[in-house]
Amino acid sequence: MAEQSSRGFYRRLAWTNIRRNRVFCLPFALAVAVVSAVFFLCVGIAFSDGLSNMPSGATARAIFAFGVFTFALFAFFFMFYLNHFLVKQRKKEFGLYAVLGLSKNHVGRILLWENFLLIGGGMLSGILLGALFGQLLFSLLKQLIHAAPGLQLRIPPVAYLGVAILFALVFAATAVYNLAQIRLANPISLLQSEKRGEKKSRFLLPAALLGLAMLGFAYYFAWTIENYAIALGVFFPLAMLVICATYLLFAAGSIAVLRLLRANKRFYYRPEHFVSISGMFHRMKQNAAGLATICILSTMLTVTLTTTLSLYLGQEKILAERYPQDLAIYSGGAEGADAAAYDAELSDLAALYDITLRPAETEPEAISVLETLPHSLYDAQNNWFYCDISGADADATAFIQELRKGKDPLVYGYFDDIFSARQEGYTMFGGLLFLGAFFSIVFLVIAVLLIYFKQVSEGYEDKARYLILQQVGMDAQQVQDTIRRQVRWVFILPLLATMLHMLFASRIITRMLEAFLLYDWGMTLRCSLGVCLLFILLYFVVYQLTARIYYRIVRHSV
Amino acid sequence: MVLLEIKQVEKTYRTKLGFQQCVALRGISCKVEEGEFVAIMGASGSGKTTLLNILASLDRPSAGEVLLDGIKLSDIPDRELSRFRRDKLGFVFQDFNLLDSFSLRDNILLPLVLARRPLAEMEQRLIPVADMLGITTLLAKFPYEVSGGEKQRTAVARAVITEPRLLLADEPTGALDSRASANLLQVFTKLNCLGRTILMVTHSAQAASYARRVLFISDGRLVSQLFRAADENDHSFFARIISSQSALAGGGEQNG
Ligand SMILES: Nc1ncnc2c1ncn2[C@@H]1O[C@H](COP(=O)(O)OP(=O)(O)O)[C@@H](O)[C@H]1O
Ligand SMILES: [Mg+2]
Repeated sequence: MAEQSSRGFYRRLAWTNIRRNRVFCLPFALAVAVVSAVFFLCVGIAFSDGLSNMPSGATARAIFAFGVFTFALFAFFFMFYLNHFLVKQRKKEFGLYAVLGLSKNHVGRILLWENFLLIGGGMLSGILLGALFGQLLFSLLKQLIHAAPGLQLRIPPVAYLGVAILFALVFAATAVYNLAQIRLANPISLLQSEKRGEKKSRFLLPAALLGLAMLGFAYYFAWTIENYAIALGVFFPLAMLVICATYLLFAAGSIAVLRLLRANKRFYYRPEHFVSISGMFHRMKQNAAGLATICILSTMLTVTLTTTLSLYLGQEKILAERYPQDLAIYSGGAEGADAAAYDAELSDLAALYDITLRPAETEPEAISVLETLPHSLYDAQNNWFYCDISGADADATAFIQELRKGKDPLVYGYFDDIFSARQEGYTMFGGLLFLGAFFSIVFLVIAVLLIYFKQVSEGYEDKARYLILQQVGMDAQQVQDTIRRQVRWVFILPLLATMLHMLFASRIITRMLEAFLLYDWGMTLRCSLGVCLLFILLYFVVYQLTARIYYRIVRHSV
Repeated sequence: MVLLEIKQVEKTYRTKLGFQQCVALRGISCKVEEGEFVAIMGASGSGKTTLLNILASLDRPSAGEVLLDGIKLSDIPDRELSRFRRDKLGFVFQDFNLLDSFSLRDNILLPLVLARRPLAEMEQRLIPVADMLGITTLLAKFPYEVSGGEKQRTAVARAVITEPRLLLADEPTGALDSRASANLLQVFTKLNCLGRTILMVTHSAQAASYARRVLFISDGRLVSQLFRAADENDHSFFARIISSQSALAGGGEQNG
């Protein structure tokens, strides 16, 4: 009986804590929900029966399975990272508990309950979310890949199992980490852990210069790549280089620049700059990695979306390049009479399907042949029948399917047509676009959550700073201006870096797309512009929302 | 000349829900002359910090008036208040309240920067102040790199660099060991000798014994005061403070 009530006690205490810390707990639960929804859908789609029945379903399943694995790995570390944020924020509270006489065991139990409630609640809502939006997403996917309308998404039970396993692991890992945090710490250090000083950074200038050199090299290389083979080969190494350079520049470059600004006394010792610059120092030293991560996630997002969107929109251009004529049949050296007969046969069959065959206009050799053999589709020089087809797409597809079925002595294996390719293209490029958009949304959600957690935890840190500033005679207006300036910089830096990365990435993307026979640099540029604009818009919405939360936290004391 | 006049100041805190009240100050009146070094002594929770925050214009009294240099604090409009605070008052807090992101030099210069003083003047003022407080060699360091006593001396430097009319200190020795405390209080004595008016709040009789006058606050009221005789040494004043304090505490016990 007593045991029963004491268990209720911990749960109730945990619930109270969650409510009190809702600025952190709510987004954490939201993160759990989003991650589990995404994971649920990934697993669900990858193992659904529907997928195997789709055209190119096997390829899609392989892509999804790989995606599922990568995503699980990533989700695990992401949740762990967010949890660490949550715990860091509350170390002071744990210290207080210890001072109040709650044993470490008790604090640990409360914490376990909290995590259990947060992760469990988030997971359940995530699965619900996934089940609801899954159908919507699936119909979007069907649209994109022009799949048959009868296709149904039935999420197999393995999806529930997958989510449960993933979050059981997350729960176990965070539990171990949190308990270790409590066990290792003594109350005093917990109480003071917020005010720890920062390390002196050394090798700043070399690190900044190295970052600059790496970035410059990567940019130059990306800009001057001549052909797609090189582009495909160096894309991942260059991306790695840019990621490293971004981290270096955010961590060291920003500090180096701030040092320069601080060295200029006339500039530095002004109310507008004094507090902001020193605040940025503090901010960059602690959060450079976080900002760099936001920048890299944003870049991944825009690159992924631009590439997949370009492919999808450029599909017709790719087809036109790849298939100068709608239909090509290799005859392996037919005599003139046979060719004429086959020619007539083709035309008759075409008439059955309500379409007409015209000699291909694009092949110069074909035209020369046409002069000797009027109306024929046969290119005697190359032993190919080339023709364009006019009529409804569906009729043409049916015609092609009939042709592929029939065995004609003249056709020696080679048979190439734009309609089958178009269907395959839709499956592939539509699938890629879907995946691209899907993962972009995931990147976006992660970036947003990161931004949110940063802003809020910084808000709590800065609160004390701004109180002190007021005590030494800074007025409310100055405080507000300073806060604005600082928040704006922290937001705009990753965005600027993302846009710059994107400018150079658009070049290498264009080159890579040439591997798919897409030669439209203008369209890639338009796509990246559109994606960037959309991203900037979203980013500013997030900025407005989280900045408001930040102001509210900071001003609470002001 | 009277520098600071406190007239019947009361302060009532309301809890968030509004139905519980906490009376922190119940009608405090006193005057501080220019050039005085006054200590306000009282147990924890007696309302010392509340009083100091009101004097500092960081908080407003529920009733009563505070006059500095003959100006009513309640007459100063909000947007002038921070400027007034910057120009007329200097603060020293128990937990130093230095900004981690500034070097000691920049922490000290902060009020001057906010007042938009020219660079040359800043440098000019910094050197003697830092010299007097013995932190000249530490100026390039950051708060987390120096000891508590050095932090507190930096805070004092920041408080006096604007040459304020009144220096307010809230338990300035509260976070210091006894040597650093003695050192800091000697600095206060020196500043007082140089003509600075100081109002210090403390619960330590040791700290209060450095002052010229000690006011005792208990449960939101000023209950008694002691003046230091012109030729009285630290020890005898300290002994008198202790006996006064225990008399007050004993009286409190009898009452309660
Ligand atoms: N912001 C506040 N809200 C409610 N009560 C407060 C607040 N600040 C102080 N108090 C109460 O006022 C009384 C005096 O507090 P304080 O001035 O901090 O005492 P001291 O500094 O002498 O230790 C205490 O009972 C304290 O609980
Ligand atoms: Mg106090």
